[in-house]
Amino acid sequence: MKRRQLLLGAVSLMASAALITGCGSTPAATPTPTPTEDPTGTITFWSSMAGMDKVAAAFNASQDKIKVNFETIPNGGAGGYAKLSTAITAGNGPDVATIEYPQLPQFVSNGQLQPLDGYINKAETVDKLSDETKALVQFGDNTYALPYDAAPMIMWYRKDMLDKAGVSTPTTWQEFEEAGKKLKAVDPEAYLASFNPNEAALTAALSWQAGAKWFGTEGDSWKVGVNDEATKKVATYWQKLIDQKIVKVQQSFSDEWSADLASGAVVGVLGANWSATGIQKRTEASGQKGQWIAAEVPNWGSPADAFYGGSSFNITKSSKNPAAAAKFIEFLATSKDAISARGNTGSAYLAFPGLTPIAQQAFDASYFGNDIYSVFDKAYSTITPGWQWGPNWDITNTALKDAYGKLTSGGKVLEAVDTAQSATVAGLKQNGLSVKE
Amino acid sequence: MVTPAPTKPPTATKPTGPAQRKPRAMSGTGGRTAALFLTPFFTIFALAMVAPVVYAIVLSFFAQQKSGLGFGEAKTAFVGLENYLQVMQSESFVGGIGRLALYCLLYIPCMVGGALAFALLLDAAVARARKLFQLLVFLPHAVPGVIAALIWAYLYTPGVSPIVSVLETGGISLNFLDNQMILPSIVNIAVWEWTGYNVIVLFTALQAVPREILEAARVDGAGEIRAAISIKLPLILPALSVIMLFTVIGTLQLFTEPSIISKATASVTSTWVPNMWAYDAAFNRHNLNQAAAASIIIALMAAVLSWAVTRFSSRNKA
Repeated sequence: MKRRQLLLGAVSLMASAALITGCGSTPAATPTPTPTEDPTGTITFWSSMAGMDKVAAAFNASQDKIKVNFETIPNGGAGGYAKLSTAITAGNGPDVATIEYPQLPQFVSNGQLQPLDGYINKAETVDKLSDETKALVQFGDNTYALPYDAAPMIMWYRKDMLDKAGVSTPTTWQEFEEAGKKLKAVDPEAYLASFNPNEAALTAALSWQAGAKWFGTEGDSWKVGVNDEATKKVATYWQKLIDQKIVKVQQSFSDEWSADLASGAVVGVLGANWSATGIQKRTEASGQKGQWIAAEVPNWGSPADAFYGGSSFNITKSSKNPAAAAKFIEFLATSKDAISARGNTGSAYLAFPGLTPIAQQAFDASYFGNDIYSVFDKAYSTITPGWQWGPNWDITNTALKDAYGKLTSGGKVLEAVDTAQSATVAGLKQNGLSVKE
Repeated sequence: MVTPAPTKPPTATKPTGPAQRKPRAMSGTGGRTAALFLTPFFTIFALAMVAPVVYAIVLSFFAQQKSGLGFGEAKTAFVGLENYLQVMQSESFVGGIGRLALYCLLYIPCMVGGALAFALLLDAAVARARKLFQLLVFLPHAVPGVIAALIWAYLYTPGVSPIVSVLETGGISLNFLDNQMILPSIVNIAVWEWTGYNVIVLFTALQAVPREILEAARVDGAGEIRAAISIKLPLILPALSVIMLFTVIGTLQLFTEPSIISKATASVTSTWVPNMWAYDAAFNRHNLNQAAAASIIIALMAAVLSWAVTRFSSRNKA
C-alpha cells in the first residue's frame, strides 16, 4: 500500500531504534522542556494493579500541588486494554495509565501516548535504568514510559516432588525433560509443569530466552520472526514435553489449573517473580507451605533469561496536564515511598535500581522453601539483550492463542508459531505497515 | 377461521352516517397526540439506533492507513468496499459463520422442541402443580447470561466439576471443553437459559386456544396427544414463528457464553463467532473500520434471516 507517505519523523526515529539506547542524552527536537516549573492540578490514574490506590493516596499526602484520582480497571486479559484504548480514542482516558511492555509499542504506534521527554527529569529516571529495560520503553529518540517492574521469568517447583523423583533442580532444558520423565516414573499422574495456551507472552519469553527475535526493525520496515530458528527449537522442545505428558496443556489462572496445583497433579509453574502470590493462594490450603521453591528457568546451555510480564506508566494523549502526570509517574516508578506504600501485594521485582529491597521487605516470603529474591536477582542478571516488541502485539497474541486452541485435538506448537507468523505479517500489512519476513 | 366471526358485525355497524365525520376530526388531534407520544421514542431511536448504524456504515468505508514502521500519524482514507472484502476473505470470520450455522442446527431444534414439549405438557389437562413447574422451567432464564456461563464453565471444567468427576467414576471420561465437545456444551448452556422463557410465550399462546374447539375435538374422539398435534399446534403457530424470529436473531448475536467459556479453555478462540470477531477487530486489533464492516455484515445476515423466517411462517399461515 502507500507506505512511503509519512516519512516524517517516524523513519529516522525508529532507525536509530530502541536497541541503541545508549545515546539517550542527545536532546531531541521536543518542544516545551519545562521540568523546572512546579505543576499543579488534578489528574486521574488508571491501573489494574493491587495496592495502587494506596500509592496514589501516599502521593496525595506527600504534597499538596497535585491531586491524583485513582480508578481500578480490569487487567489486560479481562478487557483492560480495550477499555483504555477506547477511552483514549474517545478523548476521555486517564492522565496516567498502566501498560505492560508487549502492548506498549502498540499504544505508541496508535498515537495514544505522549512522549515523556521534556516532562520528566531524565538524569534521575531513565538514565539510571538497565539497557534491557530502557529498550522496552524507548522508541526512536523518545521515552514513552517509565518502567515499574522488570519481571524475570522464573520456574517454580514443588521441592518435595523433585526429591521424590530423585532429581535436583534442573538447570538446562534437557535436565528438565529428564526430571519430568523421572517424575512420571514415580507418579504417573503428575505433570512437572503446565503449558499455557492462553499465555502467548510466555511462549515469547521462552523464545526470547533461546535467542529469538520476534520483532525488529530494518530501515523503515518491521522484521517479523515469530517462527525464527530459535522459536522453532523452543516449539519443538515443548511439543516433545506435551507428547510425553511431562507438561499439561491448560489455561493458566483457570479453575482447572488452580485445582491441579492444589491437588498436586501439577508440581511446577513456569511463571515469573510475580507468580509467588498466586501459587501461595492456590496451594496454601492443601498444606504445601515450605515446599515451593523458586529457581532460575532451565536454559539451553548457558544461563539466560527473559522478561515475562511487567508494567510501565505512561501519559496518555487525553491528558491535559502532562507536567503534573509526569511528576506522579516519577513518584510511581522511582520513589521508595511509592513501593512501601503499596505494601504486601506481591513479590515485585522493580526496574529502578534500589527499589527491589523495599518490595522485598514488604513481601512475606515465608511460604516458600528458599530465598526467592536471590533467585530473582540471579535471573535478572542473565536477561538476554536485544529483544523488542512489535507494533501490534495483540495480532500475534490472538493468533498464537487461537492456534494453541487446537493443541488438545492434534495441533502442534510448531504449527501454531507458523500460523502466528503469517497472521502477524498479514495483520501488520493490512494496517499499511512495511513488513519484511 | 371460525373464531373472529362473532365479533365482526358490531365493528361493521359502527361507521354509519354522522359518525363518519368524527373519525376524521379525531385523526387530526389524534395525529398530534400520537406525534407527541411517539416523539420520545423516535428521538431515542434515532440517537441510539439510527445514528450508530449510519456512523458504522460510514466507518466501514474508510481505513486508518499507516506507513513504514507505523509510529507516525495514521491517515484516514476512503477504501470503498475493501473492509468488507477483507472481512469476507478472513478465514476466521467465515469459519465463525460456519460454526454459527452448526450451532443453529443444534440449538434451534433442541430449544424450540423442548419449549414446545414443556408448554404442551403444562397445558395438558392432566398437568398438576402447573404454577410450580412453570416457575421451575422459567427459573434458569432469571439467571443473567454471564452468571449462567460462569456456572456452566465451572460445571464443565475437569478437576473441579462434580459432573465430570461423577462421570469419571462411572467410567465415562468426557471433556466438555475440548474441540469436539465445545459446541454442544455451549448449545447446552443456551438451551438451559432460553427454553423456560419460550415455554412461557408458548404456554400463554396455548391458554388463548378457544376451549370450545378443544372440547369439540374431544367429542370427536381426539385424545390429549391428537388434540395437541392437530388442534393446539396449528393454533399457536404465530407464537411459534415469533419465537423462531427472536431465536434466529439472538443466535446471530451469540457472544456472552463463548467469550466467558474462552477463559476456561483454549478451544474457544477469540474469533469463535462473528460477533467475537468484530469485538476482536475493534478492541484487540484496533481496527474499528473493519469491525464496523463486520458488524454491518452481521446485521445484514440478521435482516435476511428474519425476512426468511417471517416469509416462511406467513406462507405457512395462509
